[in-house]
Amino acid sequence: MLKKLFATFAVTAAMFTAQPSWAASPPNMLVIGTNLTGIRTLDPAQNNARTVSELISNLYDNLVQLSPDDLQTLKPMLATEWKVSEDGKLITLTLRDDAVFQSGNKVTAEDAAWSIQRVIKMGQVGSTDIALWGFTPENVEQLVRAKDEHTLEIELPQPVSTDLVLYSLAGSSIGIVDKKTVLSHEANGDFGGAWLSANSAGSGPFTLAQWRPNDVAIFNAQPDYWGGKPAMARVVARHIPESGNLRLQLEAGDVDVGHYLASGDLDALSKSEDIIIDSVPGLGFYYVALNQKDPDLQKPKVREAFQHAFDWKAIADNIMRYTGFPWQSMIPRGMIGAPSEVTDRYNYDPAKAKQLLAEAGYPNGLKKVLNPSGAPTLPFAEALQASARAAGIELDLVPGEFTPAFRERKYEVLLGNSGARLPDPFAVATQYAYNPDNSDEARLGSYYLWRTAMKVDELNGLVDQSMKERDTAKRTEIFKKIDAIYGGMNSPLMIFFQRTDPYVMRANVKGYQGHTTWSTRWHDVTKE
Amino acid sequence: MASADLQSERDPNRNIDAFAAASPHPVLIMLLRLAGRVVAIVTTLLGLLFLTFSMGRLLPADPVLAITGAEVSKEVYDRVYRELGLDQPIWMQFLTYVRNVATGDLGRSTTTGQPILSDLLTIFPATIELALVAMVVGIVVGIPLGIIAAVRRGSIIDHVVRILALAGHSVPIFWTGLMALFIFYAKLRLVGASGRIDVFYEGLVTPVTGFLLIDSALEGQWEVFRNALSHIILPGSILGYYSVAYISRMSRSFMLEQLGQEYILTAKAKGLGRRQVVWRHAFRNIRVQLLTIMALTFGGLLEGAVLIETVFGWPGLGQYLTRGLQMNDMNVVMGAVLTIGAVFLTINMISDVLYRILDPRTR
Repeated sequence: MLKKLFATFAVTAAMFTAQPSWAASPPNMLVIGTNLTGIRTLDPAQNNARTVSELISNLYDNLVQLSPDDLQTLKPMLATEWKVSEDGKLITLTLRDDAVFQSGNKVTAEDAAWSIQRVIKMGQVGSTDIALWGFTPENVEQLVRAKDEHTLEIELPQPVSTDLVLYSLAGSSIGIVDKKTVLSHEANGDFGGAWLSANSAGSGPFTLAQWRPNDVAIFNAQPDYWGGKPAMARVVARHIPESGNLRLQLEAGDVDVGHYLASGDLDALSKSEDIIIDSVPGLGFYYVALNQKDPDLQKPKVREAFQHAFDWKAIADNIMRYTGFPWQSMIPRGMIGAPSEVTDRYNYDPAKAKQLLAEAGYPNGLKKVLNPSGAPTLPFAEALQASARAAGIELDLVPGEFTPAFRERKYEVLLGNSGARLPDPFAVATQYAYNPDNSDEARLGSYYLWRTAMKVDELNGLVDQSMKERDTAKRTEIFKKIDAIYGGMNSPLMIFFQRTDPYVMRANVKGYQGHTTWSTRWHDVTKE
Repeated sequence: MASADLQSERDPNRNIDAFAAASPHPVLIMLLRLAGRVVAIVTTLLGLLFLTFSMGRLLPADPVLAITGAEVSKEVYDRVYRELGLDQPIWMQFLTYVRNVATGDLGRSTTTGQPILSDLLTIFPATIELALVAMVVGIVVGIPLGIIAAVRRGSIIDHVVRILALAGHSVPIFWTGLMALFIFYAKLRLVGASGRIDVFYEGLVTPVTGFLLIDSALEGQWEVFRNALSHIILPGSILGYYSVAYISRMSRSFMLEQLGQEYILTAKAKGLGRRQVVWRHAFRNIRVQLLTIMALTFGGLLEGAVLIETVFGWPGLGQYLTRGLQMNDMNVVMGAVLTIGAVFLTINMISDVLYRILDPRTR
């Protein structure tokens, strides 16, 4: 009996050993291991998150683009040149005439105008940035129009820095779609949204070959792309949610690029010579938020005490090694108005924190509930809890998914991280320093300052100004001023780290550069 | 019925319903039984849906934010909120859902945008395929091991089986999974790492049954078949190992119980060989019990495979359900729960039928 059993095993085992399934990713194919959770559609107008922005940016071309190493200089893409009128109210873009959609239709100014109109009229998350400039479903058709086959005019409904407008055109949501093809698949007035969720109709260097949500997305190269045939004949984005598994596949060479690896796996991979880790700065921060509806946290001295209750240096080299760097200004590093170095605003000083609490009327310390915004910020929250205890603040850590509670101002102390796509301090300033209406009914959940229930009229005015001002030197001054006020007001939103997104790749992969605004493009990727 | 007859004899004056007194037609009995069963199934499924739905309402996750991301303006938030029907009263949402399910419409996933039914059509075969491989491993290895352990009680084999079973119960499955990947994928390069198939083979086989192994074999695409096999064998075996642990322990104790019975002694006294005593006499009597265990194990493999599915990036039902829960995608959760419920009911029915075949007393 046993002998037979073993014989069966031996035969089965031999069957497998004889057929090794060893297959490294071939030289003309890029395999990206990522997390595809939550991507419900590949329609540019309905997206603004990180992973999906990368996928979309390779199916659709934008009018203009920003290269990953220079976020301040706009570069041509479908538009070869652009002019701004004297009064700053009209942007005229000239489109190239050799760009073709995957259907074979030529890319015209009409397609470009309709793509922008579509984003505004659909009013989905893709419109978040461009709707800031005052476009509405009612006015967009008159304001964004094709003058002729190759000329697109964008008239601004209100005075806005045209730099901002052009930056927003480079975002993945404003990918230009093939009007004729998309309209032929329209159903129930959805602007072709249902069809575009699983199909592509762009002029980009790749076309969508296969899409299975939460499993795999396969992209084929467009051989006659106007920018030249991509070196990769195929790009595969595969859902590999388990970080340990992804690490093994990166080491084995079955996966070329990895996203969202856990810090333990990043540590291990950093020791390998075959692997490069690129920590790309993001336009967002790791912050601690204090709800100003709480009578204790309202007191400025209590807020000041919190500034000295967190030993952030202790986690800078381990937990945050790949996901952020110490930064305490509201203006992201390298942007106009940003200081060259800010790590001295909030120093860990438990004695001082205790004294401040005593002055505020809490000689025996303070007890509050601390929520992380979600699972990824939990280790950070644990570190905060530990160091705050020494400073006389007892934080009761309740883990879970608390972003919804944060948006409804139902929390005491929250630790979270933010992100933005628009490469201008204005994008961050609206999140961190803007709150035009502090009432509960206003429900301005997209403004973090509203979420902390604080309103500062001076900041509101400055943020408005920074949007309207066209002169870069003046805008720089405005942002400096915003940051100075913010740093001096014992802000209920304390910034400790600027976010970075670690991209892991095999050393033989060249030209894959993670983009701060998430529009990572694969056109120039090669493998040695 | 028989008691009704007795009663009517005993008390002829009592006004008994003529219908009950008369012996009903056998077809009618069968129909009544069938109707009873259908009612039971529908009630079970409805109860299941109601429970799932209520629990989903208690979760703190926000289905709108799961779609839009946290940085969303009030206008867009409200629009998506309405599109999802969340502005309706909760009971209304539930009724609408039940009505749609009754017409075969499971709704759309709010996080993948796909109809649940089409999601399930690709996901379900992946899970069943994995569960079947695990089941085969569990039965082929588990039952003989358990029986050998029982027959040679106290021997080395018995101890080895016990240790194996104990390890299967106590070692976390994701750890086993990662270790196995490290050895068989990263070091030995014998198996595939993630998903049902290597990306190079994607789209080569047209799905007919949805089972990759069967579909590729049908088309004679042996390359694809081998690749799919190399992907399923590791998660399948690990899952199988965990069911081996359970099945072998149970077979051992069932077998021990039988071996202590008098009829075994009789059989031995008659001079029958050990093999005959064990397989022809004792084993026959534990088949029904084993069937129950196997049915339970198979059901458990469906939704219990979450961790192994995550470790191996297997696009199956467990992962689908967990993700739905995390993102508060209630259509996904209810669709998956409904499927699992339906499978459990089907397994129950199949084992009922098998009981009748295997156990003459139930006929």
